[in-house]
Amino acid sequence: MNTNTTGRTMTQSNPLLSVRDLRVEVGERTVLESISLDIHSGELVVLMGANGSGKSTLGLTLAGHPRYRVSAGSARFNGQDLLAQKPEERARAGLFLSLQSPPDIPGVKNALFLRSALNAVRASRGEPQLDAFDFLKDARARAGELGLDAKLLGRPVNEGFSGGERKRNELLQLALLNPRLALLDEIDSGLDVDGVRAVVKQVQGMRAQGTAFVVVSHYLQLIESLTPDTVLRLDQGRIAETGTLALARDIARTGFVRQSEVAEV
Amino acid sequence: MRPTPCPDLLDAQARLASHGWIAPKAENFRHLPPPPASAWLPPIAKPTTQPTSESNDPTAGWYVRALDAAQADQFITQYLDPTVPEQRAMLFRGLPWPDESDAAHFGWMHRATCQRGLRLHIAGDPAGHAAAPLRLLLHIAAPAPFDAPLVVIDVAAGAHCVLLEQHAFDPGASAGVQNLDLHIRLGHGARLQHLRTVAPAPHDRLAHQLHVTLAEGAHYDQVLLASGSAYHLQRTQIDLHQPRSAARMGAALLAANSALDQQIALSHTAADTHSAVESLLLAGGKAHAVLNAHTRIAPGADDANVRQRLSAIPTSGQPRVVMRPHMEIHHDQVQAAHGATYGALPEEALFYARQRGLDEASALALILQGLQRAVLERALDDPELLTGMDFDAALARMTRLHLAGSTR
Repeated sequence: MNTNTTGRTMTQSNPLLSVRDLRVEVGERTVLESISLDIHSGELVVLMGANGSGKSTLGLTLAGHPRYRVSAGSARFNGQDLLAQKPEERARAGLFLSLQSPPDIPGVKNALFLRSALNAVRASRGEPQLDAFDFLKDARARAGELGLDAKLLGRPVNEGFSGGERKRNELLQLALLNPRLALLDEIDSGLDVDGVRAVVKQVQGMRAQGTAFVVVSHYLQLIESLTPDTVLRLDQGRIAETGTLALARDIARTGFVRQSEVAEV
Repeated sequence: MRPTPCPDLLDAQARLASHGWIAPKAENFRHLPPPPASAWLPPIAKPTTQPTSESNDPTAGWYVRALDAAQADQFITQYLDPTVPEQRAMLFRGLPWPDESDAAHFGWMHRATCQRGLRLHIAGDPAGHAAAPLRLLLHIAAPAPFDAPLVVIDVAAGAHCVLLEQHAFDPGASAGVQNLDLHIRLGHGARLQHLRTVAPAPHDRLAHQLHVTLAEGAHYDQVLLASGSAYHLQRTQIDLHQPRSAARMGAALLAANSALDQQIALSHTAADTHSAVESLLLAGGKAHAVLNAHTRIAPGADDANVRQRLSAIPTSGQPRVVMRPHMEIHHDQVQAAHGATYGALPEEALFYARQRGLDEASALALILQGLQRAVLERALDDPELLTGMDFDAALARMTRLHLAGSTR
């Protein structure tokens, strides 16, 4: 047994994701100063922090967004050097990022986009390609489970989608791609009550199958429903606090400005 | 008996002799001057002053067919040989002389060198009971090294037709030249959805001129998918001279290390006329491309509604792109909007697609195809036409070749 940096008592298994002293810059600005964390299969970590603390930057960096430059540190995913991989290689290895604001892709039907992505991932795993018929059958069924109108499969990706529809569409991609680690950046924003329930059901179901999650959220009700293993508070590009659900409840009650920080002012 | 010279042929030759070729500083051509007049002449012989005694086979190299055999009785074709005086007279009957624009030189040259002609009369469903529009394929194969075809399409009042115009070029042949004139006349309330793909071989030189005239209440929609070549001009002149006539044009243009010039001229002279023009150019390498849209609203064109939107995305290298959205408005009660954007690749969408597992090349191709398709869809009420008429497949193929740096 060993103790990881998140404070969770671990068994002998190696972490799925291991980040050490990660420093990230965007343009001339250092957004992440030094981040270290381990995440194991099936683990769920909630990331909290004030606006600009670096939550989204962490996800985008791990996913390989070209605008985010790693100037120091390391990240290993499933035993491989994550930072040496292209974004698509990271995705094919099982890393999924749900963006806070998923972009439109005009003219590309949602179904075509999803099937192309899924087949790219399947090809990398040596699995046979899905034809349009089989894919649509599965996608429609999954969309129904998530409360997503199947008609949206025939529309251009995210174009004209409401905020909630975009997030449900992210959940559909998550369900179809079935990653090892999912980074969900404010997946609950724009979702109605049923949508939030769908998130909880989806996450818990996949977690039981071994998928690990990093969930960025400000909403205690969702965080409580997800029953996280660990809650982290980010501040100025560092992990300022590590705790459990109690930390999330404390933040929800008092806000992100901690008592000790107030005293220093 | 010696054949009688065709008067219009002599006129055309005289006009070319007296006026010369397009001046280097001609407004519509100064950003991408066309090859000299000699490039647009048939090889070996200069244009003859008299028709030859041996006629061409006017049916060779092109055809029109209904995509649904049950609709075969809804149109009539006439293949005509312009080197035979009687057939030439039938072919050119009722067509206007080239106007006074810069591009008229191509029109005169076409008159002087035209070698084959086709008249297509679209009757539509005579009983008016058809649930679906007539769907036709016009296939034009360019015989190397020279081709100057004339196509005249008349759409009867009330008829609705979807016309897929395909061009075949021989990439294995030496450089070819094609100077095509296409006249379209829509009757009262008629509707033509015109889907065109033009992908010449890299060394080909092309000039396509379309002249569209709409009667009252007629609608013309054109979607164009075209790639560049040594020289490629796509010019469309649309006359909205009758009330409630409307035209839409959507173009997806691709130029990689090649030349491409799109010219659109719209003339609104009647009340309640509508037009919308949207073109998206993908330009790569050392491409040289021009998007030129000119819309004129004449005095008295009450409630004319016009839109122009030109955009270009550089995909590689340092292409030279000129966009000229131009409006000339001589009436107060109109709605008009125009714009031009030269933008970078959509990086966020590209990252998003790669984050879902697509490699960079596939993601880029998918996104660019989508952007082009969105432009084409906006020119049609029924986006599924693009799939049903095999346009999607052509778009995918041409985008793939564009990104590979080829024009074919």
